[in-house]
Amino acid sequence: MTDTDIIVVGAGPAGSCAAIAAAKAGKRVVLIERGPFPGSKNMYGGVIYPRILDELIPDWFEHAPIQRWIVRRSTMLLSDTGALNIDYRSNAWGQAPYNGATAYRPDFDNWLAQQAVAAGAELICSTTVTGLLRDAQGRINGITTDRPDGDLTASVVIACDGVNSFIAKDAGLYKAVDASNYTLGVKETLSLPKNVIDERFGVRDNQGVDIEILGGTSGVNGGGFIYTNLDTIALGVVLKLPKLSAQKKRPEEIIAELKRHPAIAPLIEGAEVIEYSAHLIPEAGLDMMPKMVADGLLVAGDAAALCLAAGIWLEGVNFAMASGMYAGQSAVQAITAGNTTASGLQSYTKKLNETFVLKDHKKLRKIPHLVLSDRVQHKYPGFVTGIMERMFRVENPHPKPGVRRILREERKKAGISLMDLVRDALTGLKGFG
Amino acid sequence: MTIAVCLKWINASGQTDIDDDRFMGFSYADQAALEYALRIAENTNDEVIVVTAGPVGAEAVLRDAIARGAQRAVRIDIDRSHDSAVIAQAIAQVVAHCSLIWCGDYSSDRGSGSVPAFIAAELSFAQALGLVEIQVPADSLHPIRALRRLDGGRREQLEIRGQAVISVEGSTARLRRASLKGSMAANKQAIDIVTVNQVATETPPTRAYRPRARAVAAPVGNSALDRVRQITDTSSSKGHGETVHLEPREAAELIVSKLREWGYQS
Repeated sequence: MTDTDIIVVGAGPAGSCAAIAAAKAGKRVVLIERGPFPGSKNMYGGVIYPRILDELIPDWFEHAPIQRWIVRRSTMLLSDTGALNIDYRSNAWGQAPYNGATAYRPDFDNWLAQQAVAAGAELICSTTVTGLLRDAQGRINGITTDRPDGDLTASVVIACDGVNSFIAKDAGLYKAVDASNYTLGVKETLSLPKNVIDERFGVRDNQGVDIEILGGTSGVNGGGFIYTNLDTIALGVVLKLPKLSAQKKRPEEIIAELKRHPAIAPLIEGAEVIEYSAHLIPEAGLDMMPKMVADGLLVAGDAAALCLAAGIWLEGVNFAMASGMYAGQSAVQAITAGNTTASGLQSYTKKLNETFVLKDHKKLRKIPHLVLSDRVQHKYPGFVTGIMERMFRVENPHPKPGVRRILREERKKAGISLMDLVRDALTGLKGFG
Repeated sequence: MTIAVCLKWINASGQTDIDDDRFMGFSYADQAALEYALRIAENTNDEVIVVTAGPVGAEAVLRDAIARGAQRAVRIDIDRSHDSAVIAQAIAQVVAHCSLIWCGDYSSDRGSGSVPAFIAAELSFAQALGLVEIQVPADSLHPIRALRRLDGGRREQLEIRGQAVISVEGSTARLRRASLKGSMAANKQAIDIVTVNQVATETPPTRAYRPRARAVAAPVGNSALDRVRQITDTSSSKGHGETVHLEPREAAELIVSKLREWGYQS
């Protein structure tokens, strides 16, 4: 007899959704969290797309602790002095059925974990899982923790312990770790009065703005972001690890340079930094994903590298919530069927393959590499802003140059061969489907 | 016998502008008190009961204490904004049967450390407050030996027998971690909720004592030292008052005039 049916390690979006799904099905669930409360490690500055919660918590949008609903979605290309901003606005995203939202993860994760507790899961905080227990046949049947008398047995362990998952590694599910598959996300939380944010970003009430930035990362491959909360702004950069260490630049210097950019500085003028944090992001998608199923073990969320970093789509929490939910459901099925070996748990992989979780990743497999490639990172922002600079500068008495001429000259100036341009365009077209 | 530990549910974030259940906890002093109670109970096989006064949210600290080894928990359902005397009286009703009542010396949310003293007064128990060192006895036959902080770096040695209220400083002991199974059991443990008969009345708000201003004649003297002495009155002895024999009317007049002179009446 095991202590419980299912142990979920990590009370983030993946873990809490796994716990909700399993507890709703009537299984005994223990949800273990390392921090003093779920979400206590507030590293996230991003947009959550919570529609996947429709299945678990039908009225989630009435209760979830949301800061702002994103109604403006911008993609910004930065050169040293210029900026091209492609901005789309839809106020419909601020009403049901909602789209994306900003939230403070200490609020959001805590709320989600409380839904798991309400569904019957048992939440244990301030406890670090230190390893896996195995039975005589080598099947995983529990965990060890850093607490006295801290071993706990279960039929299925669901590892939602985040990027750098020690459990998935302990279970041998990861191939050798390659640092180039990871980026470092660095974020400052900047405090500004709500009315100032509303005015600067052209929004009202709980409408929010999401700006994804290409360029502006001081020569390190990556990207930048700005998200509005009610009375703070999350501003940060995502930096490819090998490039960052080669540049010998501190991430906070890179943020400081981004904040000084003429297109960014007016947005955040007068803001006070109230928080600084950094976290690893699994960026390489399908190419870095571990096996997600072992005997008695499922892996979900960042622990399974389920993070979509495809340039115009930057998502992770929705993938975490979905994979967590499917893991919870598969664990329940396997326990009910009396087979919690890897074959008994295969319905999880099947579900991931059938839904957006892996379909999106498969479709966009090449995009993360394209977005982080040197050309896209270092040449295209200057190329595109150069074209804009020439197209919209009126140099009378000279007549306007032809667009084709501008394109040709700017391409040469940026050092991009026609072949590379065509190749990248094709990869992009194919990748984005 | 039963050992009681009083735990105050406080904002443990260290910041005053955070009012949020996620950051609530109990002071290091209370943690040390719980640790000593558990250590003593291990040697004496006593039951440890933890008590807090506050709303439902305060039950979190009780469950935490149970996870770490306390056997029973009582929450006194009372508004935390009451005076120390009222809170202490409420706690006293719950812990009157206990042999020892352990408290932190004062809570870290601007506590004044008055509740332990009020509990002791309410129950007429001995009090050993502000302890900095405690020797846990091997069994219930031996007294607890302890050191109490006095002014000027001095220490008072105490021997505690019988029923007593004890308060300890936070630095004296580190609270043990809860076992995993203990935490899981604590989540299911029932907590007794007590509504107490409130007897004590709130102390009415009082004005700070400020003597009235009075005119003092400039000191007369040859040297500055003499004049300073006259004002500060450090060397001369005022004696112990004077005895006068007067008729009631004159006596009353004298008293009134003296009160005026000393500034108590205008």
